[in-house]
Amino acid sequence: MSTTTLPSTYTVFSHLLRADLTTQWRNRRASLLVVLVPTIILISWKGLVPKFGGAFVLSNCITVGLTAIGLMGYSNTVARDRDKGIFQRLRVAPASNWTIMASRLTVQLMMIVITTLVLFLVGYKFDGITISAGGYFGGLLIAIVGGAVYLSLGQVIVGLIKNPETVNVTTRLVYFAFIMIGMFGELGVLGKEVGDAVKWSPYGTVKHIVSAALTPSTWNEHSWMALLVTLGYTFVFAFLGIKWFRWNSR
Amino acid sequence: MNDPITNTNHTSLVLEVEGLNVYYGAFQAVRNVSFNVRPGEIFGLLGPNGAGKTSTLSAVEGLLKPHSGTIRVAGYSTREQPLYARASMGVQLQATSFQPELTVSEIIRLYAGIYGVSLSKERIDGILSNIKLLDAANKRYGQLSGGQQQRVSLLIATIHEPRLLLMDEPTTGLDPQSRRQLWERIEAMREKGHGILLTTHSMEEAESVCDRIAIIDHGTIIAIDTPQALIDTNRGNPEVIRASRKGKITLEDVFIGLTGTEIRS
Repeated sequence: MSTTTLPSTYTVFSHLLRADLTTQWRNRRASLLVVLVPTIILISWKGLVPKFGGAFVLSNCITVGLTAIGLMGYSNTVARDRDKGIFQRLRVAPASNWTIMASRLTVQLMMIVITTLVLFLVGYKFDGITISAGGYFGGLLIAIVGGAVYLSLGQVIVGLIKNPETVNVTTRLVYFAFIMIGMFGELGVLGKEVGDAVKWSPYGTVKHIVSAALTPSTWNEHSWMALLVTLGYTFVFAFLGIKWFRWNSR
Repeated sequence: MNDPITNTNHTSLVLEVEGLNVYYGAFQAVRNVSFNVRPGEIFGLLGPNGAGKTSTLSAVEGLLKPHSGTIRVAGYSTREQPLYARASMGVQLQATSFQPELTVSEIIRLYAGIYGVSLSKERIDGILSNIKLLDAANKRYGQLSGGQQQRVSLLIATIHEPRLLLMDEPTTGLDPQSRRQLWERIEAMREKGHGILLTTHSMEEAESVCDRIAIIDHGTIIAIDTPQALIDTNRGNPEVIRASRKGKITLEDVFIGLTGTEIRS
């Protein structure tokens, strides 16, 4: 007869999180790029602030940042770790699947918070965008909600594609398409039909709720509908992403 | 800490596999496989490529769900108490790795935490010194040589003193010195009472270190016994005699005699 004791879930999770944070920190060049792209857009769009408003510009840049974190940060690291057998090594230890993934997602949520705060700061310093305290707080909360759409979309991509190089190429293409069609479609450059389609796309709904949260007085029925659609996208993408996901790439 | 669970099985076996069946779609990779591993025993699972070794090991590790059959590790069912079963085994797999960005010390801390083992810095240094990796303690895993990575992998597999150690082709890619050192460590673990289940393509190694061997082919165990008993039982088998080249029957001759000479993909 033998007795085996397991560490608490908290202990397992905290060790996983510490390792994942260390890994993220050692890959800080990639993390920096994720923050840099929306920051550059924010600075270069300074001229649009008087025309469209600070919340519009800031929400577009935050959405670009969220897209990069979910599509490129999350899915690429998951694809790489799956291909190298890092997940399988963890799964033969007494760590449950959900703690392994929860730790990964927590790191990405931290990235969302950092990116959003950096953009708040850059928007204030360089573009002169000032928002109320409630707006900053609401914007940060909604950025986390919006970020979940892109994390779950990243999950769909790693669920459908096993090869890490193909995942990398696909996420870049999807990222590029989201930014180009999303940003220019919103501005009306690509025509009315595209503009309307963008409004209810994952880019458009996230951009809208972030923008409305940054200026709480503008939160209206359309914002509630956009929030609902955002949650719907998250649910569907997460469901499909988890259903299709395989821990082993072979 | 979670409450300790005392297993209900009173047997001293470290691994019991009974009636295991594994399917990939319509293809049956493992057919009614049964065997056990005792404490202080090195048990070799041998077979040609695609014979069902990896599928059997994967089912024991909990990486794939068997269609039917029971697996108990140190008395814990891998189906009903998977975390306790996994906590009772150490695993060294070929196709797995650690985060290349983490240092050796960080990997040790991570897995010690997951297994609930508390290690002081002095203890970690002692362990690393023992496997000649103290100088590499702060090196990232991705910067280590193949032999060093193998030693880290074995260290992690045994960090919690598991009752069962699973090793998938542990000596592949190692130079003779590293291979010798690895066998010494495995034999030391056997002396401490750990049960070891390993797969290998080296018949010489299997013959010299394994206490018992199972030969698996087309998903079925076709022979199971001590190396010498396998040789003695099959000495008169015409296929084994045909496979013999040196006049003296070896385990490799028995293996080829029983599984055929055709190359498997």
